[in-house]
Amino acid sequence: MILAGGRVDELGVLTHYRPKSAVPFGGFARVIDFPLSNLLHSGIERIAILSQYRSYSLINHIGTGAAWDMIGRNRGISILPPFKDYDNPHWYRGSADAVYQNLDYIQYYGPSVILILSGDHVYQMDYRRMIRYHHEHDADLTAAFIEVEPRAASRFGVAEIADDSEDGGRMLSYEEKPANPKGRWASLTVFCFRPAVLFEVLKKNQKGDSYEFGRDIIPMMMREQYKVHGYKFRGYWGYTRTIDEYWQTSMDLLGPDPKIDLEAWGIRTNLAHRNIADRQPVKIGPHGCLENSMAYNGCLIEGTVRNSILFPGVHVMAGAEINDSIIFFDNTVHAGVCLNRVVSDVNTVFNRDVRVGEPQCEKPSRVSVIGWNNSIPEGLHIGCGCRVAPRIAPEKWPKDKLEDGEELQ
Amino acid sequence: MRESGDALVLLLAGGIGSRLNLLVEHRAKPAVPFGGLYRIIDFSLSNVMNSGLTRVGVLTQYKPLSLMAHIGDGAAWDFTGRTRGIKILPPRTGKKDSDWYKGTADAIRQNIDFILANPSEQVVVLSGDHIYRMDFDAMLSYHQHKRADITIGMMVVPKCDIHQFGAGIIDNENRVVEWEEKPKVPRTNLASMGIYVFETKYLLETLARDRRENDFGMDIIPRAIREDRVYAYPFYGYWRDVGTIQSYWETNMDIIRENSGISPEEWEIRPNPEYGDRPMDRAPARFLAGCKVASSLISAGCVIEGTVINSVLSPGVRVKKGAVVTNAVIFDDGVVEERAAVDLAILDKRVQVGRGAVVGHGDNLTLANQQYPKHLYTGISLVGKEAIIPVGAQIGRNCIVQFGYSGDSFSGRNVLPDGQSA
Repeated sequence: MILAGGRVDELGVLTHYRPKSAVPFGGFARVIDFPLSNLLHSGIERIAILSQYRSYSLINHIGTGAAWDMIGRNRGISILPPFKDYDNPHWYRGSADAVYQNLDYIQYYGPSVILILSGDHVYQMDYRRMIRYHHEHDADLTAAFIEVEPRAASRFGVAEIADDSEDGGRMLSYEEKPANPKGRWASLTVFCFRPAVLFEVLKKNQKGDSYEFGRDIIPMMMREQYKVHGYKFRGYWGYTRTIDEYWQTSMDLLGPDPKIDLEAWGIRTNLAHRNIADRQPVKIGPHGCLENSMAYNGCLIEGTVRNSILFPGVHVMAGAEINDSIIFFDNTVHAGVCLNRVVSDVNTVFNRDVRVGEPQCEKPSRVSVIGWNNSIPEGLHIGCGCRVAPRIAPEKWPKDKLEDGEELQ
Repeated sequence: MRESGDALVLLLAGGIGSRLNLLVEHRAKPAVPFGGLYRIIDFSLSNVMNSGLTRVGVLTQYKPLSLMAHIGDGAAWDFTGRTRGIKILPPRTGKKDSDWYKGTADAIRQNIDFILANPSEQVVVLSGDHIYRMDFDAMLSYHQHKRADITIGMMVVPKCDIHQFGAGIIDNENRVVEWEEKPKVPRTNLASMGIYVFETKYLLETLARDRRENDFGMDIIPRAIREDRVYAYPFYGYWRDVGTIQSYWETNMDIIRENSGISPEEWEIRPNPEYGDRPMDRAPARFLAGCKVASSLISAGCVIEGTVINSVLSPGVRVKKGAVVTNAVIFDDGVVEERAAVDLAILDKRVQVGRGAVVGHGDNLTLANQQYPKHLYTGISLVGKEAIIPVGAQIGRNCIVQFGYSGDSFSGRNVLPDGQSA
């Protein structure tokens, strides 16, 4: 069960029209392609995606599931949107409620183990190892954790895990987003449940008024002395919860020996989505220049691109310069434009001589993000850390400058 | 929306295309990779799709496996669905032990059952080995408007080239009044593109008339011009028969060149993204610090650390540090190791050029290949699939390195002189 419902406000303009799991990542893929590819390579072939916020982009992306080989007699991806029936009049009220409302789906297939994942993370993991661990320890719940600096742990669910083995151990304590974390293991929102136990705890949880795995289910299971294990994950884990995190995680795609190796990780995406498959190879003009960058088919590079990631169909005209940026599908960057630390959503046009960011801006929140379907007026200067909402009307643009950190709605 | 009814398409994809030498050693000409991530047949198939036609038979004969794998179920060109479809039509055993197709018309004749099983007013007969964009819907409307029995797609070519084509002389209504097949002395510059629209009824009659008529250009068309209504449908635009190494190379280079008139993406040419047995998709191309790339096409999955100029790279090609690739066409998953150089060459799939090796060495472009002087005479060298060029080797101009070659040296020396084969 993939939890893909959330919008996550920090990603702001990138999630105005799509859930976070459908945010483009990695020059051609979407964030949810990471868990889906992991499932494919783990041989797990019956998948449900719980989706609530602006599902269309996600539904469109998943298609038939054929891209992940999830189409066949005993294989499939189902998207489970919220619904109404006799006794359930509401939306998904949280991750646990979303699964609870679809228990009939789970029971229909009668699985021996249920894996619950977040669709929001960038990582490679062989779930079979974790499931094997779960079975070997006869656990009711096995949750995956990664080691973090204690001071960075406050934003996560944090556990103390017994040092039973290299792979994991009994969970000794669990706190959801604690101000002063006791443990140093942060939850990855990857849960492996014994089905009967999952049914039981979700039912109990319905009596409360909060319905989250992290905040409610795990603490309840700890209180009630279920057999809860922590599985220690030691690979790369990329967060995309804020724009700065999204940018930083994207930068891990670059370099001669990138932390995120799409090829080695075996990432698949839906090549029919946004017609990726129909794009011709990257065309580089006589004066095009690319350095430490990634570009997918359909790009036309006549200008200069450094330390950047270009999705399909980005046109960089002669005399334009892009540094340290992530440019989504089908942007056009005209002559004289200079972009620094920009995340630009699909179909945006940077008209002549637009400048965004500064080459050496050291302010803490320095990435500027531009929403989709914008046409940024000629000569406009947008500062560092700015946010521009999608589809800004022509008359709403400032005369000549959007100051550092400003938002344009 | 289609204006002209649902004509049946028969695509002739059996040609050997032997002048493409190594490139057709393991595949039919229509299946030869082109333009980075396409195959030659993608142009015809996409034209069919973009014309709104939905029923296609592909007549294969020569080394069809690669072609069949590429076409698959036809979903890439939208040929899957209840009333649509693409069928591979190989030669079958008939009255005799084997009935190989003896010519274009004979191939169609042997598939009359397919034509009858797919009722249509018109049949479009195409070849699968040309690079062009064309709207067959417009051609069908033209054919219907002229009430023709046969309409032939024709274009103007330089008179010196007419000897390679069927040539037609037309009246001012575009009716073809005379025909010469591959004339030595040109009387016209109007050449047949091998694209025909037939009235289905007429096609069935004419094929039944004389079973010795095996070829459209040689037999069927000349007689039809004398006796029936044959019209020329004029085509203006980019069209290439990439039947020789030189024209194959030039046409690839045209995609890079400004204003050459060819643009696969604008033409809405659809490739079939090939997964093979790869469990992952091709990631975006990576351009590492210190690389230099200009005037080139670079497909997904490439990793460029060295220099690439004026070249077309298929998916997964690696150009290592200090390597220099110029004027080259490199197929999938080729590797050019550190400090190696490739100039004016076509490398088939998975070729490895060893450290410091040179493919295309020296300045003598005119010494033709000894074995195939008619295939390689302009300086282009060919390297076959999966060949390994030894570390530090020097391959000259107009050379051929065979499929799977992996010798440590060339007859004791690390040099393959101009015009030689290994």
